[in-house]
Amino acid sequence: MSTLRRRLVPYGLLGPGAIWLLLFFAVPMYFMGEMALRSGSLDTGGFTFTWEWQNFSDALSGSNEQLVRSFVYAGLATFFALLIAYPLAYAIALRAGRWKLLLLFAVVAPFFTTYLIRTIAWKTILADASPAVDVLQFLHLVPQDGRVLATGGAVVAGLTYNFLPFMILPIYASLERMDVRLIESAKDLYASSTQAFLRVTLPISAPGIVAGVLLTFIPAVGDYVNALLLGGTGQSMVGNVIQSLYLQQRDYPEASALSFVMMLAILAVVVVYLRFAGTGAFMGDEEEAK
Amino acid sequence: MRHSNDSAGRGRAALLALLALIAAVAIAACGDDDSVGGGSDSGTQVAKSGPVKGEITISNWPAYMDTGKDNTVAEFEDETGVKVDYVEDVNDNAEFFGKLRPQLEQGESGGRSIFVVTDWMAKQMFDLGYLQEIDHDDLQTVFANIRPDLESPAFDPERKFSVPWQSGLTGMMVNEKLAPDVKSVNDLFDPKYKGKVTMLSEMRDTVPLVMKADGVDPTEASKQDWLDAIDKLRDAAESGQIRRFTGNDYNQDMTNENVVAAIGWSGDTSIIENPDVKWRMPTEGCILWSDNMVIPKGAPNTPAALGWMDFVYEPKVQADIAAYVQYVTPVDGVAEILPKLADNQLIFPDAQFTESCSTQPDPPGSKEDQQEVTEAFQDMITGQG
Repeated sequence: MSTLRRRLVPYGLLGPGAIWLLLFFAVPMYFMGEMALRSGSLDTGGFTFTWEWQNFSDALSGSNEQLVRSFVYAGLATFFALLIAYPLAYAIALRAGRWKLLLLFAVVAPFFTTYLIRTIAWKTILADASPAVDVLQFLHLVPQDGRVLATGGAVVAGLTYNFLPFMILPIYASLERMDVRLIESAKDLYASSTQAFLRVTLPISAPGIVAGVLLTFIPAVGDYVNALLLGGTGQSMVGNVIQSLYLQQRDYPEASALSFVMMLAILAVVVVYLRFAGTGAFMGDEEEAK
Repeated sequence: MRHSNDSAGRGRAALLALLALIAAVAIAACGDDDSVGGGSDSGTQVAKSGPVKGEITISNWPAYMDTGKDNTVAEFEDETGVKVDYVEDVNDNAEFFGKLRPQLEQGESGGRSIFVVTDWMAKQMFDLGYLQEIDHDDLQTVFANIRPDLESPAFDPERKFSVPWQSGLTGMMVNEKLAPDVKSVNDLFDPKYKGKVTMLSEMRDTVPLVMKADGVDPTEASKQDWLDAIDKLRDAAESGQIRRFTGNDYNQDMTNENVVAAIGWSGDTSIIENPDVKWRMPTEGCILWSDNMVIPKGAPNTPAALGWMDFVYEPKVQADIAAYVQYVTPVDGVAEILPKLADNQLIFPDAQFTESCSTQPDPPGSKEDQQEVTEAFQDMITGQG
């Protein structure tokens, strides 16, 4: 009896997740794939299934510029988020002392407001005549007659800001459980602070970095809100194209095909990245991460 | 499978088989129809009338009525005892339709008894068989008070399925201090205002105005005229002349002075909190349109929906709406109640004021031709090749 139960427990634990994944991922994926191979139009008799592979080439050729732009913007946003998040997570995990909880709360606090409102707030912050833009112009980071809003810079800034907590939290988690005595030992063995950081702290936090990069990069590629609200005429990302295809043009097959293309492209980038970073680092295997 | 033995392996296989079975059933249950879309053609259906009671849900555009305390909805509730759920969830005709289409296809309205959509969208919904017809005998107040020029529009000559909520003019929103010399839509293409200009993402507002500015009558324009105007917009978008294509949110850019001139809707001066911003009639004229109340098929409680239509056509009730939204009121006899606003051409335009304006047109030709123009416009907005 007990061995049977022991054998059933893993399935019991897996069950809810598996059913969830099946109903809300596998089944919709099937319908999306099927829709991507249909042809026709809504106004003239609807879409019929015809193995229309051309939808994929249309999607790719029509929007390769937006696809590339999505990856560039998401890559930049991930890079800047890492640059901001690492020192912050380090400070919170190792230097904050009794302020730790408060600082962590501050990281999560923006989530108490909706995503949309936070992004719209950036429109005010970055408005052409705003103090923020005056400062940037004074520092010659923005030309005197230039602007920030409705440029690629604003979109990347919005993406960085909106996904920053997803970078901070995993890095914080990996640094937080690090044994600080390891750093002391390194120094006892005549490592400089830099060496101790590069050879002890950084490898230990690698799983956090890998997780943070994935959690930031993947949703950022498909995001359309930032480009819609903070971008201008030349900043459309692939998410905006899919939205336009689906809701404005009602070309469901091409919208589905483009969604697939985007997913495959993300998958390819992530696989290459994980090969480079090591899956062990992602799984929390600190040995391999080193 | 490092830790598994044989029986665990069999168990896993059984689980996979079970999941595959569930998937197969789910897929079979959801979709074995050959085509998706194409409209429901269950024939015409006339909205049932009867005693006005119960509950209704009304979908309208944001800021299209005072939703504060003691508003029009509250008055209606007091007078009839109907409980109204007034939802401001229409932001864009095409997007609203795109979101709702799968339900409309099934003869469902998502619980809504009334939507408010623009002329061309109402026509498209009707042609697809998504709307109920209305009997004029059930709408005595509406047809007693409707402005004569709105009685038989081209898209619905007998007002069989649509009742105007508000009408309006599409022209230019101009910051008179920062862009005093913008008089024609062509001035929006002046390099002096590069990056300081926005246009509307509603194709039927923006493209006809651009055609008018180039001397093309939009109501007579050919497909090529539409595509040429879209090319002109594409050049201006790519050069950075046009900052963005927007919906209602150009208001924020005008208020902040990020934008000094835009294609805009006549009623919006009441929302833009900048005293320098005024709506301006382009020298070549404007575009005239109405947003209409329609009753979708599957709408619950149509008697109360008809009751609401009649209610807002009482001049006293309409006066509150007109004073708040500042669009062109479709109801006669309101000017007398609002003497202070009676001279406002944007609420009570006379024939001379709108003389050179055109009714909002659809792209000409077959469904395929219209689709081609729509695609060209949307691709231009997202910058696709």
